[in-house]
Amino acid sequence: MTTSAPSQRERRTAPREPSPGGSRGGAARLRGLVASAGRAVLTQRVVLLVVLLVAVVATFTTLSARNYLSAPYDAPYMALALINAVPLVMLGLAQLLVITSGRGGIDLSVGAVVSLTGMVFGLALGEWGWSLAAAVVLAAVFGAACGALNGVLVAYVGFPPLITTLATYYVFSSLAIVITGQQPISTEPVQELYGAARAVPVLGSGPDAIALPLSILTFLVPTVLVVWVLLNRTTYGRRLYAIGTNDVAAEWAGIDVRRTRFLAFAGAGLVSGLVAVVTTAQFASARPDAGTAGSGMALPAITIAVLGGVAITGGIGRVAGVVLAALLVVWLDAGILLAIPGNAGSQFQLLALGVVLVAAALLNGLTARRFGTT
Amino acid sequence: MSAPSTAPPAVRRSPARGPRVLPFPVTGQEVVLLGVIAVLWAVLGAATPAFLTSGSVVPLLVATAPIALIGVGMTVVIISGGIDVSVGSVVMVCAVVTAEAMTSAGVPLLVAVGLSIAVGGLLGLVNGTLVAYGRVHAIIITFGTLNVFRFVGLQVFGGSTVDGIPPTLAVFGRGEAGRTLGVPHSFLLVVVVAALFWYALRHTAGGRHYYAVGGDAHAARLAGVPVQRRVLLAYVLTGLLTGLAACFVIAQGTSTLAPNVGSGMELAAIAAVVIGGTSIMGGRGSVLGTVLGALLVQTVASGITQLGWPSQLSSLFIGLFIIVAVGVDLLRQRTRRSA
Repeated sequence: MTTSAPSQRERRTAPREPSPGGSRGGAARLRGLVASAGRAVLTQRVVLLVVLLVAVVATFTTLSARNYLSAPYDAPYMALALINAVPLVMLGLAQLLVITSGRGGIDLSVGAVVSLTGMVFGLALGEWGWSLAAAVVLAAVFGAACGALNGVLVAYVGFPPLITTLATYYVFSSLAIVITGQQPISTEPVQELYGAARAVPVLGSGPDAIALPLSILTFLVPTVLVVWVLLNRTTYGRRLYAIGTNDVAAEWAGIDVRRTRFLAFAGAGLVSGLVAVVTTAQFASARPDAGTAGSGMALPAITIAVLGGVAITGGIGRVAGVVLAALLVVWLDAGILLAIPGNAGSQFQLLALGVVLVAAALLNGLTARRFGTT
Repeated sequence: MSAPSTAPPAVRRSPARGPRVLPFPVTGQEVVLLGVIAVLWAVLGAATPAFLTSGSVVPLLVATAPIALIGVGMTVVIISGGIDVSVGSVVMVCAVVTAEAMTSAGVPLLVAVGLSIAVGGLLGLVNGTLVAYGRVHAIIITFGTLNVFRFVGLQVFGGSTVDGIPPTLAVFGRGEAGRTLGVPHSFLLVVVVAALFWYALRHTAGGRHYYAVGGDAHAARLAGVPVQRRVLLAYVLTGLLTGLAACFVIAQGTSTLAPNVGSGMELAAIAAVVIGGTSIMGGRGSVLGTVLGALLVQTVASGITQLGWPSQLSSLFIGLFIIVAVGVDLLRQRTRRSA
């Protein structure tokens, strides 16, 4: 290739400003743009997720327009489907914090923390007669304490995170069931909480209004903003990425590695505590197996985090990736439910989740070798 | 970490002076586990006279078998530096395929067992190929295949349960047909398999390769170990053993198989491996420890039922045992390093 040097340069500058020099041909400029776009899709997880998201929404909207689906796949439906994104995104962010802290960081116990904190929250609100605000604060504090237990064992004692959180998963889920003798708590104050999970119209009015589940506005958006600010605009965030990338180097740089890692686990617990409130409101009852029924909440949360581009080895991960991955999965699931009604639909959701995860991971591995590190 | 917080772990070289932890009297986790199990059995035997009778011990051994068997395979995977969280789904697929074959085609015992093992091996091959040649972390791959396998299993189930399973597999069950001289066949098989794996891992070159791969895959490759082939084989072996374990699961159940079969078994198997003293970081561990770990977990579960406590308390104890087992292991490593 004779024009390799200039086109290389253009490829690098193309995404921001296509080409200031007007002397070059339009075809070459276009080629450079296409090449850089292709490369961005392959190497930037966020770009890939946006492309997939657009493809999924476009596919199902087209299918819906041609009446292939059992119900219209439109904006109101997609907005209502977002209720499923609340626990996914929040717990995905919890995993983001923990996995980014490195040294095999992972938290298998988030689902069990949701169960146990949900029971404590239900007891406080429904049995002890606490006010809602006090009970929510208690849930956050209790969740953080559960996470702090993980954090102490991992960061200060030196247990491997996978094992620690496997052990606390067992402990918390067992306590959640034993605490009330397997009985869910659904007294009146807890049932009234269901109002907190209702949908509120945000755009338009009447039957065509786009209604968002309230928990999106009260829990999801604030959590996303706080975690984003924490990771991108505070020294704590920089420290977290530093210890995840190389904790020996970080320690030499004067960072308190243990405290930083401890706080990541405590933060994950706090977010799980808030998810417990959302889940309790959604079911109008505090269930002892809320976060552990079936395959639990931890495995989907880790899946979302990994799909969102969080490197399992630590040090790499973005809030936008986790949010986009959750949106992709939620809207894909919602579409599949309409395309394949009934039991088979939820089965195909599993297939889609697994295939997307493995394909994204393989693609990442491939591009990392082809283009250097992502 | 005994080093002061300002010094990075890498420079911790001289042993910490001051109050030193005494060297542990026994070196192997197996010995510790045997002791713990013996104490537990003695205590439970004293507390509930029914515990140390064959009517209680045989079901205990039978119930231990599937987790122990999967755990043996999982031990090889974890020693080689990987992990397989999809085994629960593999159990489900193998169980439903085998149960369908027995109910609709009425296949005999050997065919049923062979089919289950073959299906398990095939799914293990999928995992192994992706992990060994995809160069993606094992936990991500197996999280993905967990979902895909579950989909496959649910498709075979077809939205309902499998009913009227014939007692073809009763030789592995808890009933009279499942015993010879009072010893359950399923547990005998576990002992045989574990002994084979123990010998292979300890005394054959191929077995030592797994420790080399788990210790440092790059160094192992330079030393001439076929790293990718070994990794692939580890997952295939786990799949084969999981297929056999699925037969045990069918035999222990009723004549109805529900779609939730196998769920949670991956965590139970990992727990057994870890309690058995295998390092989750790879490069260290033994299958005997895993079998003892599975036995310990099942002893706790069975003991709690017999004491009349809520059965969910058993997971609380499993969690505590994991923490204690890993803590003891850490302590032992540290004393060995500073000795």
